[in-house]
Amino acid sequence: MGPTPYNSSNSSSSACSSSTKPPPPQPPDQMDHLLAGAGYKVRSNDLTQVAERLEHLETVMVKSSPVDISDIGNDAVYYNPTDLASWVDSLLTELNPNGSGSGSGSGSGFVSGSGPAYVSDPVMNDMNNVYGEFGQQVVTPIEEDVSIRLVHVLMTCAEAVQRGDLSLAGLLIDDLQGLLGRVNSGCGIGKVGSFFVDALSRRVVNSPQNGVVQVDLSAYENEILYHHYYEACPYLKFAHFTANQAILEAFDGQDCVHVIDFNLMQGLQWPALIQALALRPGGPPLLRLTGIGPPSLDGRDSLREIGLKLAELARSVNVRFAFRGVAATRLDDVKPWMLQVSPKEAVAVNSIMQLHKLLGPGGPRGPPVDLVLDWIRDLNPRILMVVEQESNHNQPEFLDRFTESLYYYSTMFDSLDACTAQPEKTLAELYIQREICNVVCCEGSARVERHEPLVRWRERLTGAGFAPLHLGSNAFKQARMLLTLFSAEGYSVEENEGCLTLGWHSRPLIAASAWQAIPKPSVVTTGR
Amino acid sequence: MAGSNEINANEAKKVVPLHTWILISNFKLAYNMLRRPDGTFNRELAEFLDRKVSANTVPVDGVYSFDVVDRSTSLVNRVYRCAPKEDNTGQQLGAGVIELEKPLSTTEIVPVVIFFHGGSFTHSSANSAIYDTFCRRLTGLVQGVVVSVNYRRSPEHRYPSAYEDGWEALKWVHSRSWLLSGKESKVHVYLAGDSSGGNIAHHVAHRAAMSNVEVLGSILLHPLFGGEQRTESEMKLDGKYFVKLQDRDWYWRAFLPEGEDRDHPACNIFGPRGSSLSGLNFPKSLVVVAGLDLVQDWQLAYVEGLKESGHDVKLLFLEKATIGFYFLPNNDHFYTLMEEMRNFVRS
Repeated sequence: MGPTPYNSSNSSSSACSSSTKPPPPQPPDQMDHLLAGAGYKVRSNDLTQVAERLEHLETVMVKSSPVDISDIGNDAVYYNPTDLASWVDSLLTELNPNGSGSGSGSGSGFVSGSGPAYVSDPVMNDMNNVYGEFGQQVVTPIEEDVSIRLVHVLMTCAEAVQRGDLSLAGLLIDDLQGLLGRVNSGCGIGKVGSFFVDALSRRVVNSPQNGVVQVDLSAYENEILYHHYYEACPYLKFAHFTANQAILEAFDGQDCVHVIDFNLMQGLQWPALIQALALRPGGPPLLRLTGIGPPSLDGRDSLREIGLKLAELARSVNVRFAFRGVAATRLDDVKPWMLQVSPKEAVAVNSIMQLHKLLGPGGPRGPPVDLVLDWIRDLNPRILMVVEQESNHNQPEFLDRFTESLYYYSTMFDSLDACTAQPEKTLAELYIQREICNVVCCEGSARVERHEPLVRWRERLTGAGFAPLHLGSNAFKQARMLLTLFSAEGYSVEENEGCLTLGWHSRPLIAASAWQAIPKPSVVTTGR
Repeated sequence: MAGSNEINANEAKKVVPLHTWILISNFKLAYNMLRRPDGTFNRELAEFLDRKVSANTVPVDGVYSFDVVDRSTSLVNRVYRCAPKEDNTGQQLGAGVIELEKPLSTTEIVPVVIFFHGGSFTHSSANSAIYDTFCRRLTGLVQGVVVSVNYRRSPEHRYPSAYEDGWEALKWVHSRSWLLSGKESKVHVYLAGDSSGGNIAHHVAHRAAMSNVEVLGSILLHPLFGGEQRTESEMKLDGKYFVKLQDRDWYWRAFLPEGEDRDHPACNIFGPRGSSLSGLNFPKSLVVVAGLDLVQDWQLAYVEGLKESGHDVKLLFLEKATIGFYFLPNNDHFYTLMEEMRNFVRS
């Protein structure tokens, strides 16, 4: 074997004591920890191969013109840059579509098989999987010149509540009311602080051990708040937009498609999808939409009304369309037979901020989320679209939930500051306030806003038999274009291992991911 | 021009460890796609590709971080601090509450390093994974605070945007009561930066010196300087160690005002259009030069220029180092650098 081309003569530094013998090789299947600190996942075993591919890529690039290279940057779609090996391969495919296969390593001089020669790093040894690990407290851009004291007293009060010291909590709430009077309540923590003080005081005043039950708004009131939240900030639009993009791609080439919407609301997501399907090359498919929503208590059949409006739109653009409403108070009340899925259809399940509601205490048949994910899997959807709040508001300890939600909602409120339109802004704030109240005041089955972060949902969905469908650079680009429609400069879209997040400044606030069901091992399809 | 059509991976492979080669090569090749021949930049794809990390208030290796928005400029600064030592009185009121009411110390001096990330004025952000990792290390190293500035980048924002943002960051840092330390109760500020960040650090230091704002020292990690003339190192090393001269030219064209050339004072500090630094209260500098960086002649000229102006400058010349040697702790130069930076800030 020839001389090792990588500089293996670097001796260990004075920081390492055993400087003469080579470091023990990492278990080959493990992700390399040095590159992990740079945001890339490469198996230790694959390092040399990735290096060879990079070298091959350079060879190909050198032969291409700069115009060609930047055209590829403009036009091609890329996925999940964290997976460096597949990223390099996708570039190779774009630049060299007729090129030779992998590992044309003859003469490239890379060492193969003898393991990389590098110095083991004492500083980095514990850095595996640090970022994105469950339990990470993600913090928010904060406004430190306003209300530091307010935050302190809020935390002390929450801690008293957790300990059960309600009389102290009550005194602290009086303090907080006083502070609110002196603070700039126009923005940031000062603004959202008043909602948290309100929520805490409800909990303290009303508290049975199981917490408060939130007063239900009428469906109409709910819709008003939702609509203004939709208008005032881009979070819901981003969710709809990204979901539609992914669903459109999943339906490519399919003639009969069926979208199951876990929360129809006003059906704001669907006109855009209907129009996109209408414009599809080769013509639109037959589109069925099943909208799930709470039963109307006021005599209107609001699900049906929305369905009619959407049917009207579909007719006007020549898309064959059928709608079905399924009334259910909770998602786990829905039985799959109600959805009437036919085996010929391509199914898309669309869950925008709904799955977290299933994380509450389970019934006799088990945790609601597992039951629902199970029947979703039985439907064999081509895509399950999941959009969720990117925060952990479901921790067992009250203080942890309180802290995390304080920072989360304070960021969200900050982002709302960019919206000046009224009454959108005020009503959007009320919409958010109800979420805050639920997180802070409620317990048990009444607490439905049990948000969990992407890293947790990934574990859950993978464990439930779903495989990720990566959202790519095209969805990313379009999401960014959507944001330019908002004058506020602070919104940011980020790519996170095949998922997209939308946040304010550097804090992601909602995360969108797409999944497909791995068929169950024994598939029984008797007509039933 | 050497190397334009040859494959030059062979040179770099011999001096650079495998991981570093992979990391820097990946950037190099991806960046080729982002720079368009017409001078525009594919910002969408760049942001898609950049691996970012969130701030983290749970201390990792003794360092935690949080982001603060400066409302007047809407710039985001990422602040890194060392976790407090074990405290028996203290219960922490929920992990995540940041102690922003008290100064860093009333007795000891705690250095605050304002860091400007590199990327040739165009790439990366304060929350890029490579820079977040670097700043965490730096924080632990100096046992102080690091403030990483998310300055506006070119070509969308040309000279002097980045310098203005750097100046705002300096003023912001000086005015934070929670960054005070020492018996005289002031903010002990250092500036630092790699590549374009080093260039920004110089200009901020210059403005500070002219405005009587105190900066205790400046660390420039292979800073980005240049000029119209082609130097020996540029010609000799063109294309050999990850960087081509034509790429450098692209970035200057993207940063400098339209129509300007590389003798602009932003780029060529001691060149025909540079202003004199003599007599100014310019901070002491540590200039780190990578021996395989094609820009080194300009960096060495900078060091000479500082000396001739009567200023305190230490040159750390790392013969076999390529650009980006400090991203991964897998080579001697990395450890040498860490040692030098620690001493520089503590002396």
